[in-house]
Amino acid sequence: MRPFQYTRAQDVPTALKRREANPNAQFLAGGTNLLDLMKEDVERPDELIDISRLSLSQIKTIASGPNAGGVSIGGLGKNTDAANHPLVRQNYPLLSQAILAGASGQLRNMATNGGNLLQRTRCPYFYDVSMPCNKRAPGTGCGALEGINRMHAIFGWSEQCVAVYPSDMAVALAALDAVVKVQGAEGPERAIPFADFHRLPESTPEKDTNLNAGELITALELPKNQFAAHSYYLKVRDRASYAFALVSVAVGLELNKNRITRARIALGGVAHKPWRAYRAEELLVGKEATEVHFVAAAAAEMAEAKPLAHNGFKVELGRRSIVRALHMALNEGKS
Amino acid sequence: MEDKKQLVGTPVSRVDGILKVTGKADYSTDHPVKDAAHAVIFKSTIAAGSIKRIDTAAAEKAPGVLAVITHENMPKLNTRGGIRGGAMLQGPEVTFYGQHIGLVVAETFEQARHAAHLVKVEYDPKNARVDFEKLASEAKVPKDKKDEKRGDVKAALADATHKVEEVYATPIEHHHALEPHATIAEWQGENVILYNSAQIVNGAQNAAASTLGLKPEQVRIVSPYLGGGFGSKGGQWANLVLTAVAAKMVKRPVKLALTRQQMFNSVGLRQRNFQKLSLAATPDGQLTALAHETTTHAAMQDEFVEPCGDCSKLMYEVPNSLISYRVVPMHLILPTYTRGPGKSTGSFALESAVDELAYKLNMDPIELRIKNEPERDPSNGKPWSSRTTVQCLREGAKAFGWEKRQAKPGENRQGNYLVGYGVACGTYPANQRPSSALVKLHRAGNDVTATVELAAADLGTGTYTILAQTAADALGVPLNKITVRIGDSDFPSAAGSVGSVGATSYANSVQDACVKLTDELMAKSGKQFFVRPTAAQLMVSEKINDHQTRVDSKASEKAEEYSSHSFNANFAEVWVDTSTGTVRVARFLAATGAGKILNPKTARSQILGGVTWGIGMALTEESIVDPRWGNFVTRSLAEYHVPVNLDIGQLEVLFIREEDTISNKLGVKGIGEVGIVGVAGAVANAVFNATGKRVRELPITPDKLL
Ligand SMILES: Cc1cc2nc3c(=O)[nH]c(=O)nc-3n(C[C@H](O)[C@H](O)[C@H](O)COP(=O)(O)OP(=O)(O)OC[C@H]3O[C@@H](n4cnc5c(N)ncnc54)[C@H](O)[C@@H]3O)c2cc1C
Repeated sequence: MRPFQYTRAQDVPTALKRREANPNAQFLAGGTNLLDLMKEDVERPDELIDISRLSLSQIKTIASGPNAGGVSIGGLGKNTDAANHPLVRQNYPLLSQAILAGASGQLRNMATNGGNLLQRTRCPYFYDVSMPCNKRAPGTGCGALEGINRMHAIFGWSEQCVAVYPSDMAVALAALDAVVKVQGAEGPERAIPFADFHRLPESTPEKDTNLNAGELITALELPKNQFAAHSYYLKVRDRASYAFALVSVAVGLELNKNRITRARIALGGVAHKPWRAYRAEELLVGKEATEVHFVAAAAAEMAEAKPLAHNGFKVELGRRSIVRALHMALNEGKS
Repeated sequence: MEDKKQLVGTPVSRVDGILKVTGKADYSTDHPVKDAAHAVIFKSTIAAGSIKRIDTAAAEKAPGVLAVITHENMPKLNTRGGIRGGAMLQGPEVTFYGQHIGLVVAETFEQARHAAHLVKVEYDPKNARVDFEKLASEAKVPKDKKDEKRGDVKAALADATHKVEEVYATPIEHHHALEPHATIAEWQGENVILYNSAQIVNGAQNAAASTLGLKPEQVRIVSPYLGGGFGSKGGQWANLVLTAVAAKMVKRPVKLALTRQQMFNSVGLRQRNFQKLSLAATPDGQLTALAHETTTHAAMQDEFVEPCGDCSKLMYEVPNSLISYRVVPMHLILPTYTRGPGKSTGSFALESAVDELAYKLNMDPIELRIKNEPERDPSNGKPWSSRTTVQCLREGAKAFGWEKRQAKPGENRQGNYLVGYGVACGTYPANQRPSSALVKLHRAGNDVTATVELAAADLGTGTYTILAQTAADALGVPLNKITVRIGDSDFPSAAGSVGSVGATSYANSVQDACVKLTDELMAKSGKQFFVRPTAAQLMVSEKINDHQTRVDSKASEKAEEYSSHSFNANFAEVWVDTSTGTVRVARFLAATGAGKILNPKTARSQILGGVTWGIGMALTEESIVDPRWGNFVTRSLAEYHVPVNLDIGQLEVLFIREEDTISNKLGVKGIGEVGIVGVAGAVANAVFNATGKRVRELPITPDKLL
């Protein structure tokens, strides 16, 4: 860890100003990802602006605007609080489940909602500064492309980067069509639709998201929906808890009798961003919620996968997991 | 005095428990040593080649830095001393990725860590030999492991109607004790005190002394508590002597603790093994041949081969047998003893093959094992001092509900799960090693207190407690009046807490010392006794204020004439998710015959730990090397998956009653190692019973069951 200056921001405008003044500064929220990366010499800020005490942790019903009736979750609220809040549990159990499927109780107590979205890949070549990695050190190559890539992407990767994005929470947010509210030093607050928040690697894998330098995540907005009765987060991993996903699936269904009127499916552990299964969603809408349709939708989605040397299993696992998650959502979480 | 209840054999809670849960037990770097500086190691980023240039200028100028030590300013050490694995900065050569190439000493840990990042290294790299799958074919006979043959395996296999010939693969595993390897070195003139956790206290003393060019009495090892070791603290590694050298150079005490990431290539590992198992049997299940051929890797300069064939030598009666090893040097850190060395990995291969054979013979795997139970130790013809395999199998099966198992795989479906039962046996040698002990009694009025001293180790397993129990019974002194002092090379020398010899060797030596002390007091009294008095009674009746005695104990000669082992049988019930391939061990039962159980509570914990690691071995643990560069891509406990609570279902521990005073006077056999032996086999066999799919490569991760 390199020496750095520590500043504690008292309010949002000073935090943003301070950050604008120093391009080598970074915001410090829960620190559960950033500090680890600093110890590994991956992140090298010379200043940490502690934003953890800013009053951006409220969870409330949205009174007006495009998402009126939905719920807003503060960017600096703790993961634990978001997962356990009655408004979230009742209206978006999918989000609760996804958060609770991630990390450990201790980490979730520290981790913030904004920090969670901005956590960086767990690719070992990214973490080990002696390895090539275009995300960490652009131009050095991708260590994983022809290396050990069992945990890596099967969708949307490029020759420059095959890393996957690790957050569970974000997979649920993708399925729920969340909106990320961000604020820069200048200008009004921006609203970024979740699907546009994270990026595919293309030729600039060093950029994880479309957040501009110095912007602060102030809140996540969840539009009102009727998925609560039929949603499920399935996470498949190498051990029962405290492991990143091999594949995860977030499902939300709205049903009229047994006919699917709306479907949302997002996959985790398969791409550089939460992977919305648009193809599968489209195939499901208007159909009966039955095994044949589930299987067809899952197969269509996974048909486009491009596995690497060691992660071919994710294609079959993804297919099966989508089907299982759909069944679980249909049966209100009971298998 | 009234007849006191025996404490040995009862579930006494740990005497050091309160100290530990209140944080008062001092582990290596917790010792309050004044004015200590902090060292941080830095490591090579190539696997093979040499250091061309190492630029330490920036590091030396960084705030707080006291010294930067590399091969350029490192004093010469004796590399043929007792330190394992090299990496002592004796030259520019690099023979594995992550080899220590230097250390920074600074006022604070953070300053040292930062400065370590500022060191710039240029290498002359060579081709790294790190791809075991490719190099395995070059493996040769190891120096100390010749082929062991009996009869004619080839012919027996050729003739057999029923046989199994398969290769079982196990991955590199790491010990990852909770407490990483850590040392404080403090010089006092020409002598050095090393606070350093060590499974073999005198071994660490000799290793440090021989390597540093000192006499053993110039080195004192202080290691009262260990946060685990699992074999990685059996031998000592470079970090111990590097700390001593650093302290000498900066003329101050120095603390050095490895980081979790550094633990992957600093203190050994369990090597990857390909084990070819060949079994042949008659149609009614009599074994006619057993061959266990292991291929593995070692370091470039040093060889260590874990004895995977050990269980196969003696578990079954078989006329034709072959145990062999082949090893190939690679640019990886030296492998070393890892819990149940050879037996845990070897039993996975053997017991999977036995299960495969039972399936082919259409026989219950328990009956097949019992049918081939050997009368004597087939490897040396010696009689067993005692053998409990059949009892473990029978009593274990009954307690587990084995009769509910469906013999045909893939038949027991419960919703989305397939349920299966598996069984596997294990064994580990029971040995008593030379150990000395000093027992001191002190009297104040009618109050007698005792102190027991020996250079034993407590890995967290309960050594303090069982020695207090042993002394309490043998002296007639209450448990709370006994002080056990161990983990210091100033105490009488003792065996290590390794290879399941600790409890046996320590408890027998303490027992012997207490008996001797009582004899001495009786002699001193000059009286005749009809009933043997206790030492405590004699101290009071004879008004003796202080008395002490020391013994040097070792195994009896009679023990040599017998084959002594602990045995177990393991039973697993697994639930396999049919869509995701995820395996849950819902229930596990270990039935163990390990002689006298000194303390059922700490003994049970030992088995629970062994089973838990065994489940990790079966399902989750694997260290993966990038075959291009020799680095581990599993670099932390986020990627190296030890089981978490949720992975472990209901565990049941059953001890078989056994009295075996042939192997040693107290009849203790040791349980630390045997607890993990057979566990992975039982889980893998249960997975087969559940799914019909035989996974011969550990760990059984979900992708292997899709
Ligand atoms: C061992 C381990 C296991 C884990 N397992 C999982 C898992 O299974 N699933 C999972 O999803 N996660 C897992 N995590 C990751 C964990 O969820 C993240 O570390 C956590 O959510 C990050 O939040 P934080 O507040 O601590 O972020 P920080 O570390 O403080 O910050 C992360 C980044 O976000 C930036 N940042 C933070 N807040 C804001 C904001 N409001 N606006 C703009 N920028 C901001 C920081 O500058 C920094 O760059 C695991 C972590 C660990 C250490």
